[in-house]
Amino acid sequence: MGKNRRIRPLSDSVLMEGRNLWTINANPGVAVRGESLRKFRGVEHRRWDPNRSKLGAGLLRTRNDPSMLLPSPGSTVLYLGAGHGTTISHLHDHLCGASNQHRGRLVAVDLAPRCLRDLTHLAENRPGLVPVLGDARKFDAWGVLLPSRVDWLFQDVAQAGQVDIFLSAVRRFLSKDGIGLLSLKAASERHQEGTDHDIFASAIAQLSNEVELIEHINLTGFEDQHALFVVRRR
Amino acid sequence: MWLWYSWQSAAVINTDGDVIDMEINDARFSVHAAKERLQMIARGRLPPEAQILAERFPEAKPTAHGSEALPEFEIPQPTPNQIEAADEAALLLAKEGVAISAADPDRRMEHLLRASDELRTLHLTMEARLIEWIGLFLPSARFDGDRTQVAGRLSNVASLSEFAAQLEVDDAYEQPSESEWKALHDWATMVANQRRQLDRLEHAIRLSAQAHLPSVSTLVGPLLAARLCVEAHGRSRLARLPSGTVQVLGAEKAFFSHLRSGTAPPKHGHIFMHPWISRSPRWVRGKIARMLASKISIAARIDAFDGTPMTQEDVDQVETKVEAIRKEFSKPPRR
Repeated sequence: MGKNRRIRPLSDSVLMEGRNLWTINANPGVAVRGESLRKFRGVEHRRWDPNRSKLGAGLLRTRNDPSMLLPSPGSTVLYLGAGHGTTISHLHDHLCGASNQHRGRLVAVDLAPRCLRDLTHLAENRPGLVPVLGDARKFDAWGVLLPSRVDWLFQDVAQAGQVDIFLSAVRRFLSKDGIGLLSLKAASERHQEGTDHDIFASAIAQLSNEVELIEHINLTGFEDQHALFVVRRR
Repeated sequence: MWLWYSWQSAAVINTDGDVIDMEINDARFSVHAAKERLQMIARGRLPPEAQILAERFPEAKPTAHGSEALPEFEIPQPTPNQIEAADEAALLLAKEGVAISAADPDRRMEHLLRASDELRTLHLTMEARLIEWIGLFLPSARFDGDRTQVAGRLSNVASLSEFAAQLEVDDAYEQPSESEWKALHDWATMVANQRRQLDRLEHAIRLSAQAHLPSVSTLVGPLLAARLCVEAHGRSRLARLPSGTVQVLGAEKAFFSHLRSGTAPPKHGHIFMHPWISRSPRWVRGKIARMLASKISIAARIDAFDGTPMTQEDVDQVETKVEAIRKEFSKPPRR
């Protein structure tokens, strides 16, 4: 306690306290996945566990300004591979806030009905969260929910061809200078020969062809065999 | 020329991105109406606005919003009300999709099968405890022959002495206390109920497998068919697996140990349950497993891709092959 527990705001609703992340709870009193709740200056915050969220881990690991990895509150963002909604809930805290006071829209796509079950429950108490049951690759089925390009896009799908899906999503939905984050799971690219290092290297080559690669964040320790790529659309 | 369309508007644009014609619906949509539109899009059908333009410009290529093929152009934006309706509709659609996923027989079968596995493990443990428990009080009783009846019979008697009399063994020298007997009796009732529950579960699995995998069920029995399907994560995946994988499904530990450290490869996984393999001499099991796995693969493909289900005749043919293998290799190979 004390000296190194420096509290540093990353945005209006995201706090970095030493090596811990906290977001203002948009649904006060409720912990989404049993995370701890704590009041800072009278406002309830939820702990953002970097071991369960690759975006959270990226915020702690990045060498640049971590607030650059977050979208601006009140914007429309696209999240592919929403999972059970751990990251989504914190992103929603930041993007929309309680009763969607910032007027944000978070379009969250996932393929698995089991995941969507948790997401729809989450969405009931969190206006601004738009869960979509669909294949991240079948853009035509749900793309109409994004009438204009978004400034922030996150992808975390554990299936082969992650980089291709990501680049396609970037071309379709990310605005110029918009930030895209790709969480790459090396083990999902089984068809590809070579070590995890080779897989990441070829991903970097493929990404650099089309977009500006800002950072390659190694998530080892939080999530093994994973890396987070931060890109900007040219 | 392109016919761009979204869920409430459409436009015809040329390759330079000039808008030639536009149909925009700026009405307030009810959530229900928006939901219908979104479903239309998801199924690849054209919304009414796009249909109007498609008739006017039959040469324009209908392309959904967001396609990479579209040139850059000023995309007509929906009203805030419409966005709100679409968001609510998307939530409804997601809920509907989640509810519909219960129609998937693969998911249902998995619950049935895993439930029966878990219950069986529990049942065997509890039954073993029951036998030990009674054996403590009635040391002269022997249940070696038939343990399965013990729980049912014990749950129907009022005291341990009555049970001893039924078994025609010496009554307990040291009687359990009243509360202890009640606990023991409850335990026996539970074990007896588990038998019934297990039977019910197995019956449900059989019915489900016969409906979902008729050919595989006819070939190797519904219980094994269900297990293979669940282990393969679904019927369509089972149908796509090479039969070499079907052969060793359930022997993953041995298989990956083989790949990693070069131990002997497994000859059979779950299909060992089948009497054609488990009742055959050791040295032909691998050969029969290989043949049977290929037949299972064919059967799974018939089931997954709507073929004519296998009949008993087909199964008899496979059995003839099994017999032929057994006969050809009737002697163990010389070491």
